[in-house]
Amino acid sequence: MSSLPPAKIIVLGLGNDICGDDGIGIAAVRILRGMLDDACIAVEESSEAGLALVEILEGYDRALILDSIRTGTCPPGTIIEMDTAQFRRVIAPSPHYAGLPEVLDLAERLELRFPSDIRVLAMEVEDPYSIREGLTPCVAEALPRFVERARSILAELRDST
Amino acid sequence: MEKPIQDAWNTAYTRANEKTRRIVVDPITRLEGHGKIDIYLDENGDVDRAFFQVPELRGFEVFSIGRPAEDMPQITSRICGVCPTAHHMAATKALDDLYHVEPPPAAKKLRELIYNTFMLEDHALHVYILGGPDFIVGPDAPAAERNVVGVIGKVGLETGKRVIVMRKRLREIISYLGGKVIHPVFGLPGGVAKGIAPEDLPALREVAREGLEFARFTLQVFKDIVLTNDEYMKLITSYPYTHRTYYMGLVDDENRVNFYDGHIRVVNPNGEVFARFPARQYTDYVAEHVESWSYVRFSYLKPVGWTGFTDGFDSGIYAVAPLARLNAAEGMATPEAQKAYDEYFAALGHPVHYTLANHWARIVEMIFAAERIVELLDDPEITSKDIRTIPTAVPTEGFGVVEAPRGTLFHHYVTDERGIITKANLIVATQNNSARMAMSVEKAARGMIHNGVVNEGLLNKIEMAFRAYDPCHACATHSLPGQMPLVAYIHAPDGTIVQELRR
Repeated sequence: MSSLPPAKIIVLGLGNDICGDDGIGIAAVRILRGMLDDACIAVEESSEAGLALVEILEGYDRALILDSIRTGTCPPGTIIEMDTAQFRRVIAPSPHYAGLPEVLDLAERLELRFPSDIRVLAMEVEDPYSIREGLTPCVAEALPRFVERARSILAELRDST
Repeated sequence: MEKPIQDAWNTAYTRANEKTRRIVVDPITRLEGHGKIDIYLDENGDVDRAFFQVPELRGFEVFSIGRPAEDMPQITSRICGVCPTAHHMAATKALDDLYHVEPPPAAKKLRELIYNTFMLEDHALHVYILGGPDFIVGPDAPAAERNVVGVIGKVGLETGKRVIVMRKRLREIISYLGGKVIHPVFGLPGGVAKGIAPEDLPALREVAREGLEFARFTLQVFKDIVLTNDEYMKLITSYPYTHRTYYMGLVDDENRVNFYDGHIRVVNPNGEVFARFPARQYTDYVAEHVESWSYVRFSYLKPVGWTGFTDGFDSGIYAVAPLARLNAAEGMATPEAQKAYDEYFAALGHPVHYTLANHWARIVEMIFAAERIVELLDDPEITSKDIRTIPTAVPTEGFGVVEAPRGTLFHHYVTDERGIITKANLIVATQNNSARMAMSVEKAARGMIHNGVVNEGLLNKIEMAFRAYDPCHACATHSLPGQMPLVAYIHAPDGTIVQELRR
């Protein structure tokens, strides 16, 4: 039996809930919040960009980030999984200021206590540019699958050693 | 004048598919929001025209109509994940005007406190994270180093940690007064929701003192790295980055820079005052031009008129943001900022027309914001409990203006007698700068691409032209980028791709 304390896990929904499909990450964590009952898992949402992610993720051991994505290469509602190894190859001009890859590099460089395992679960969206509430139909339809996938990833993160 | 200009641009655009070669830089690195630059080369491989295109947020007005005006500080702060405090404050001031109510002095000071804290934090972020890679790391450094990690490599690990810690501490002041930074609950028509408890003052003053030290340190970093480097200085003052336009910024009663309140002052390309007006009159001075190739509206000075993408006295194109604010004012309201302001103009002349000088001007403003925070926290009235005047008048129409980090930000609402929005209009900072920015992109492209010779370093210098403005496009969207960040396609005159550059 290990006497190590359980890993601290964060699931972070990113986006803007008054900006159409951009709010998919927020919508997902709001559902997850009602489903999860695990003291080890913090459920957070943020509409902030860039360096704010450093402050949010600092101090956790593992993280799952839920966000929208626009590749234009797959239909809206498609769920895309990335780990940070993949993500780092995309040196991103993200609206998140420096972008998640740069945030990760920064945290590493500054020797911050940062999650060693960061997964990104993103959904291809249709319209993240209109100021309005609610998701487009394809994205809304895919939301339950998105949430389910997030749950199973969280279970993996919790059970991995 | 508008139709022929538009036709000329459209013709150039069409020609892209015929005899010109095309370079696409898409999307732009390190910018909040996606953007695209199309560069069309002629048969000689020189730049024919360049177009800077960005997606713009849609639907704000429709979203606002029918909602209570009192919700606007919360709604508008949520449209931007980068400068929520600027929208929150512009909206709050528009509500004061809408409800015909004057906040008590302490409320104004608290607003100014939170606002200067936000400006300091946001400017620091641009200096070190967004613009820093161009100047601190160097314009010709390899792309892999032109990022925040490269900046830390140059300024050192301790400084890197200091930037992160300072930002966090400044944000704690904002959170203390307004709750979550992204969804501030602070400004109310006629005042603010929360004051400062006297017992909390020492801790806040400590952060303020550190903030001022940090701003001084940043100015020193800039002097050591940039001002001692002749190559950088040559670049800053070089022709491709120079436009002789009008400049706009908020000023106080003595025509000194103010971020929170005052009159809007406009100077001409000689730096002489052209106009000075309250927010209420903005529609007399600001008009919007539309181009078929862009989602962005191009603001210009209505009394001067739109004469196309050109500078000079006869063109209504103007600039906002740090460079413009310093040009539009006659000085700074705090001593160290005044000293930095004097050094800046002594080195570059008055007014400063060099786009890249925005970075230096931004640091002058950091000093001002930091000093102002200290002053406000030392003001005996800052802990006053008289922080709200309850509105009693019937709401009609409200105008609010602040200086966002990226420039003058206008909010304008009209309501029915119950305070329900019937009309809403925002002119965001980047829109005020959009015409000058388009000129900068084209001029930089013309100056730096010749005979079809294009390399990544040159493309970065084109990007530097607009990055200096700290533009914020489609600012509310948070979607991950779906493409490689920087792709340049070079098309032969027959339209085929002959070269592809990627970062």
